[in-house]
Amino acid sequence: MASSTSYYFVIIGTKDNPLYEAEFGTFKQGGDGIPKFREEQRHMNQFIAHSSLDCIEDLQWASKEMYLKTVDKFNNTWVSCFLTGGNIKFLLVHDTRSDEPIRQFFADVYDLYCKTLMNPFYEVNMAIRSQSFDQKIKAAAKKYL
Amino acid sequence: MALPLDAPPRARSAMSTSKASPMYNLRSSIASTGSTTSLTSLFAGTGASLPRDIVDDIKSVIHHAFVPHIAVHVAEDVNEIVREKGLPDFYQLIRPYGEKVQGRITARDSQGSSVPFEDFAVRFVRMTDVATQKPNRNGNAKNGDWGGANASMPEAMNSEELPLVDELLDLHLSHAEELIDTNLTTETEHHTGQAYYLLYLRKLLSGFPVTSHETFAHPVACLIAISSRNPSPIDTLRQLYKSGAEMDVPNYVNKEYLRYYVLVHDEDKDDILKSTALFEQMKRHFGLHCHLIRLRSSMCIVSDEDSVAVAKSQWLPASEELAELHSHQAEEEIDGDITSRFMHGSDESAIKTMIREMVAQSVIPFMERNIASWNDQILSRRKGIGGRVLSFSRRFLGASATRSATNSATASNFDAATNSYEPMTPEAQMRKLADWAFMLRDWKLAYDVYNTIRTDFNNDKAWLHVAGAQEMTIISLLLTGQPITPKIRADTIDVYLDAACYSYVTRFRAFYAALRCLLVTVELLRLAGGSSAELAAKWGIKALDLNIKPTVGRALISQRIGDCYAVRQGAGSGGWGGRRRKAALWHILAAETWIRLGKFAQARHCIDVAMPKYSSTEFVYIRRFLDQLKLDSGHVSLLDLKIDTNVSGNGEKAGGVDGEEGEEEEDDHEADKPKFDGKRKSILIPQTPNGDAPGTMTMDAGYDDAPSTSPKPRKKEGPSNY
Repeated sequence: MASSTSYYFVIIGTKDNPLYEAEFGTFKQGGDGIPKFREEQRHMNQFIAHSSLDCIEDLQWASKEMYLKTVDKFNNTWVSCFLTGGNIKFLLVHDTRSDEPIRQFFADVYDLYCKTLMNPFYEVNMAIRSQSFDQKIKAAAKKYL
Repeated sequence: MALPLDAPPRARSAMSTSKASPMYNLRSSIASTGSTTSLTSLFAGTGASLPRDIVDDIKSVIHHAFVPHIAVHVAEDVNEIVREKGLPDFYQLIRPYGEKVQGRITARDSQGSSVPFEDFAVRFVRMTDVATQKPNRNGNAKNGDWGGANASMPEAMNSEELPLVDELLDLHLSHAEELIDTNLTTETEHHTGQAYYLLYLRKLLSGFPVTSHETFAHPVACLIAISSRNPSPIDTLRQLYKSGAEMDVPNYVNKEYLRYYVLVHDEDKDDILKSTALFEQMKRHFGLHCHLIRLRSSMCIVSDEDSVAVAKSQWLPASEELAELHSHQAEEEIDGDITSRFMHGSDESAIKTMIREMVAQSVIPFMERNIASWNDQILSRRKGIGGRVLSFSRRFLGASATRSATNSATASNFDAATNSYEPMTPEAQMRKLADWAFMLRDWKLAYDVYNTIRTDFNNDKAWLHVAGAQEMTIISLLLTGQPITPKIRADTIDVYLDAACYSYVTRFRAFYAALRCLLVTVELLRLAGGSSAELAAKWGIKALDLNIKPTVGRALISQRIGDCYAVRQGAGSGGWGGRRRKAALWHILAAETWIRLGKFAQARHCIDVAMPKYSSTEFVYIRRFLDQLKLDSGHVSLLDLKIDTNVSGNGEKAGGVDGEEGEEEEDDHEADKPKFDGKRKSILIPQTPNGDAPGTMTMDAGYDDAPSTSPKPRKKEGPSNY
């Protein structure tokens, strides 16, 4: 794991397919926002995110909130999840615990995602390639994480 | 997933070859056929041949791990007779037969109802082995603090056995790899299933060290034997009794075990009438716990009429089995084979009868009697109102005594300097009561007693004993088979396991004890199924933390964690609440470790199990990583097999049912698909993805470029995108 906090963010569709992925580092404590994942962590992040879907399927029935908080833990990494009404999962793989900033981040992402969904050329479960979406996600990450 | 295999298990065929062609035959063939054949025979008799009934039954492994230990203490003339037969000594001769006591053994439980066991077992140990495992007391062992407790920790509780177990398994697995390489390819299922994990577990559980905090390895009985050749039999027996009692066993071992006297009659040379007379005399002197066994002293060869192969012990400790394997290898080179592999059938049945009689008529009644009396005298007193007042007042007075006088010995029976209790103290006897009840499979009584003594130990701050009691509380609770409610899970299992592991690892650095505790619990939880299986996986992950290096054990445990998750099936058509993705993840992790260890067949098996979950994944790095894994392990997809077999025309395996799992990805990967035999050479251990992944590429950039650069299929959304 990287020395400073790094995040892996992924939006997963209803068929376990990734719609959008991003990595970023922290901006807190003088971080530069650059992810510090080592090469072998890259696939582990995806594995961890993918495997945490099992836990989400359990937890989603137990909570009224869309933000499910930390749903899974693998060694030193946690997975936080936000579940939309359409069963789209926002997952954040992170190595420090901080519920509140992540919640705010997810709220912003949910806004962005809803706007994407309103695009007539976008269908559910389609990969999101919009440059502006990417930039706005990065901005939200800079703001909260 | 699993190939529909109907091939005969390798072990069985290996067994039959070794029976049909004894060692000397094979030895001559080494030069021509290479080492595989010799290894086949070598492994046939030892661990690789797992009896099928045991493979299926994890519980029986656990039952057979916690069995009464019987010390063997024999006169030299007995060993002489056995050596004339061509076997090392009397102990080696009878040991394998203790592992399965013939017939049905009945024991009475605390409720007074008798319970029959079909598969009762005892473990024979050398008297000298019990004695030599003394804790090395460094002089500075002080009372109270942890440093002192640490110093008095027996060596054996530390992890020195673990590397040996790993090494042994490594050897077994390499052997399996070799067999698979030599075109016995279709037997992967047998070799890579849970068989090796069970072997690992068994090796881990055989050879408990003699320690103060549990009495499983303390002898329940001692078998004292002389032979008909002895000039002064009765005196020798007395001497053996004395030397056995005076042997330098650790103080915490109770010396009041049962003595069982055996007269070995040499059928070939001595007069049975004289022996019978001597036996009568023995009975007069030593009571009823006597047995006359008639053995032949002549060597038996294969061609003899009633020859049977000498049984192999399934429960050899790893160190011994390793030594044996090495010595076999040496034997193959130098031609001096003195150990016979056969014995007379009459001898075998005589030994079986002796053990059965000893267990059924002496050992079990002895244990029952003791359990009943301890239960009466100590436990009920402890549990009754009087005992509570007594222990309370003792504690109260003791507490004040410690404050005034520094001598804490008045407060409790715990001897902090040696980290043990004297065998006659109520605490030690209760632990023994619990352990014996456990050995006789009276889980309920054992659970009650462990529960009671745990608090006692806790009051005395005897942390090792607390940990031991916590461990056994959980194990006996799980064995009682009562349903595991979430409350039990949260309040008992989680708490005690955590505390026991903490004590073992942090306070005593007893990795062996911690690993044993975790793995046994994991197995039992896994058997319970449902959400307990998930708990099992959780503790399995904890067990992984004990062992950082990529060893065989680590790989096996990773694989087992995957199995644990796989046990948890979801509900409904969607499989809600299942743990299939987690299972797949752990199988992949296991595969990665296997590849690092060079065990490609195991890796291939793990990949086979995990692949269906990932076959159509759209995660770039996962795909890339899996392709790399497949390449490294020489994994051949089932689709390939099908093509192969179609061409060569001998394909009855690789049935159509398995075809669907791999096909989606296969069409884009035709080019870099490795050939089955070629890729053993393209071993690529480093875990970096293959060259086309630019190291600095960020995830999103990679994603945007994906359609052009990565081989990722974009069937579904592709058209709508462009």
